[in-house]
Amino acid sequence: MGDFLAQYGFLIVTMVQAGLLGLSLYFPLQAGQLSLASPGFYAVGGYVAAILLTNPAFAGLRESLGGALFPLTWLAAALICGLLGLVVGIPALRLRGIYLALATIAFVEILRVVSLNLEITGGAIGIFGIPQAFGFQDRWQYIWLFGPLLILTLLFARQLERSRVGRAFRAIREDELAADAMGVPPTRYKVLAFVIGAVLAGIVGAMSAPFLNTWNAKQGTFDASIAILAFVLIGGSRNIWGPVVGGALLTAVPEVLRFLADWRLVINGLVLVVASLYLPQGIVGALQGVRRPPPPRRPPSVPVVVEAPGGGS
Amino acid sequence: MEASQLLQNLLNGLAIGSVYAIFALGYTLVFSILGIINFAHGAVFTLGAYFTYTLVVGQFENNGLLKGVNLFPQGSPLSGNPWAFALATLIGATVAGLVAVLVERLAFRPMRARGADPLLALVSSLGVALVIVNLIQLLVGAEIYNFPSDAYGEVRPALSFQIGERVVIVRTVQIIIFAVSLAMLAVLGYVIGRTKVGKALRAVAESPGTASLLGISVDRFILITFFLSGFLGGLAGTLVGTAFGVAGPYFGVTYGLKGLAVIVLGGLGSIPGAVVGGLVIGLAEAFVPADYSAYKDAVAFALLFVILLVRPQGLLGRVQIQKV
Repeated sequence: MGDFLAQYGFLIVTMVQAGLLGLSLYFPLQAGQLSLASPGFYAVGGYVAAILLTNPAFAGLRESLGGALFPLTWLAAALICGLLGLVVGIPALRLRGIYLALATIAFVEILRVVSLNLEITGGAIGIFGIPQAFGFQDRWQYIWLFGPLLILTLLFARQLERSRVGRAFRAIREDELAADAMGVPPTRYKVLAFVIGAVLAGIVGAMSAPFLNTWNAKQGTFDASIAILAFVLIGGSRNIWGPVVGGALLTAVPEVLRFLADWRLVINGLVLVVASLYLPQGIVGALQGVRRPPPPRRPPSVPVVVEAPGGGS
Repeated sequence: MEASQLLQNLLNGLAIGSVYAIFALGYTLVFSILGIINFAHGAVFTLGAYFTYTLVVGQFENNGLLKGVNLFPQGSPLSGNPWAFALATLIGATVAGLVAVLVERLAFRPMRARGADPLLALVSSLGVALVIVNLIQLLVGAEIYNFPSDAYGEVRPALSFQIGERVVIVRTVQIIIFAVSLAMLAVLGYVIGRTKVGKALRAVAESPGTASLLGISVDRFILITFFLSGFLGGLAGTLVGTAFGVAGPYFGVTYGLKGLAVIVLGGLGSIPGAVVGGLVIGLAEAFVPADYSAYKDAVAFALLFVILLVRPQGLLGRVQIQKV
C-alpha cells in the first residue's frame, strides 16, 4: 500500500483535482454559459494561499493561527474569487455563447500577464517554498483535502440540481428568452452559476498551492482553460459525474502513455479529436445513452421579427 | 511625444498590425462560413514559418528527429536571393493551406456530418492543434530558429531618415511585411468581392442551405475557405518568423490568442473588421510606453474585454438577430 501511494499518490490527487476543476466549469455550463475563466480563478486562489503562507507581511498571522491558517487560506481564496467573479461576471454575462468564452479567455490572459509582472506574485519566478498543509509528509496525503472537497461539491451539485435554482439554471440553458418570459431572471442566475464556479476554482487553487509547493503564472493559462473544457466535454456536460470522469481520465492518459515518451502529447491530441467525434455526449452521456435515448433535436430556430401589429415584413 | 517618436511607433504599429490582420483574416473567413472558431489556426501559422524555414535553410540543427537531415546537400536552391525566398514563402504558405484543408477533413467535416454540438468541433480543432504543435516539437525540437541574414540575398538596407534630433528607422523586413500584407488584402478583397468564387463563398456564408439549393457545392467552398485561411495563416507565420525568428513549436499560441482579440475587436466574421482590428491592436501595442512594455501582451486582451462590454458586435460587426 505504501509503495502504491508513493508511486501513484501524486497522480491520484491530481486526478481528483482535475475533476474539481472540471466541476468549476460545469456549474456555469449548467446555466448555459460557456466560461473558460476557471484557470484564472484557480490561479488567483493559489496566489492568495501562497501569499498568506509565505509573505513576510503575514508572519504574525501565521504564528498566531498555526494549523488553522490553512482553512483561512481557503476561506480567503473563496471570498476573493467570489468577489472577483461577481465583478467580472456581471458585465461579462451580458455576452452570449462564443463571445463569453472569448471574454473569459481575455480575463485569464490579462491575469496571467499581470501576475507575471507584480512584485507580490513573485514576477516570472513566482512564489516557491510554500509550506505543506497541516505538516503533510507525503503528497498523497492531500487526498484528505481534495477528496472531501470533491464529495462535498458533488453533494452540493446534486442538491442544487434538484432545487429551484437548479431548475432555473436548466431553464436558462434550454432557452434564455423563454425562461425570462416565465419570470426567471436570467442575469441573476447566470452570475450565480458563474460565481459558484469561481469560488470552487479558487478553493482548489488555495489547496493546490501547498500541494505543488510552488505557484507561478503558468498555473493559469489558455492551455489550462482548454484542458478543463476538454475534461467536461469528454466526460459529459450534462451529468455531475461527467467532469469528474473526464478530468480523472484525461489526467491519467498522459501518465498511462508514459512508455510512449515523446509521443504521448501527440496521442493526447488524437484522443481529444477521436473522443469528440465518437462520444458527442461525453463518456458519461454515452454510458447513460445505453439506457435512455438522447432527447430529440429541437427544430431549427426562426428569427423573431418584432414589429407593430399590421406592419408587413 | 516627439514627432519622430510618434512616426516611429506609427510605422512599427502598422507593420505588426498588418500581420495581425492577415493572420486574423484566416480566422474570420472560417468563422463567417461555419460559425466556428478554428483553434488550430495558430498551429498552422507556426507550420507556415517552419515550412519556409525548411525550404530556405534545408536542415535543422540541435535536436529532434530531423536533426542533421540535409534536404539539399549542395545548399538550398530557394535561398540567396529575394525571388527564391519569395517562392519558398509561397510554397510554405500553400502547404500550410493544405494542412488547414486536412484539419477541416479530420476535425470539422465529420462533426458537421453528425450535426454535433459546435463546442465539440472546437475541442476537436484543439486536439488537432495539440497534435501539430507536439509533432513539430518531436521533429525539430523546441529552440528558436533564425532565418540566416543572407536568406534573401542582397536586399536594400533599411530606410532611415532624420526628423529633428532623432533618426527614424524602418527595417527592411517591416517594409516587406507591410507590402505583402497590403497585396494579400487587395487580392483577397478582389477575389471575395468581384469574382464568381467570392460570390459563392458569400452565399455559403449567408446561408449554406440556400446556397446548396442554388447548386453551390457547400463542402467544396468550405474546403476553399480553409485553404485560404491556412494560406494566410502560414504566410503570416513566415513574415513574423522572418522578422523575429521562428520561436519554437509554441510560436503560434500567442498569435492564435491575439488573432481572436483582433477578430472580435473588428467584428466576428467581418473581413474589413479583421483588418481594422489588426491595425488597431498593432498600433495600440506599438504605443505602449517603454516603462510598461511588460504589459504589452495584455493590451490586445484588455481591448477585447472592453469592446465586448461596450460593443459586443465589434467595431464593424453586424448586430445578430435574437433567435428563439
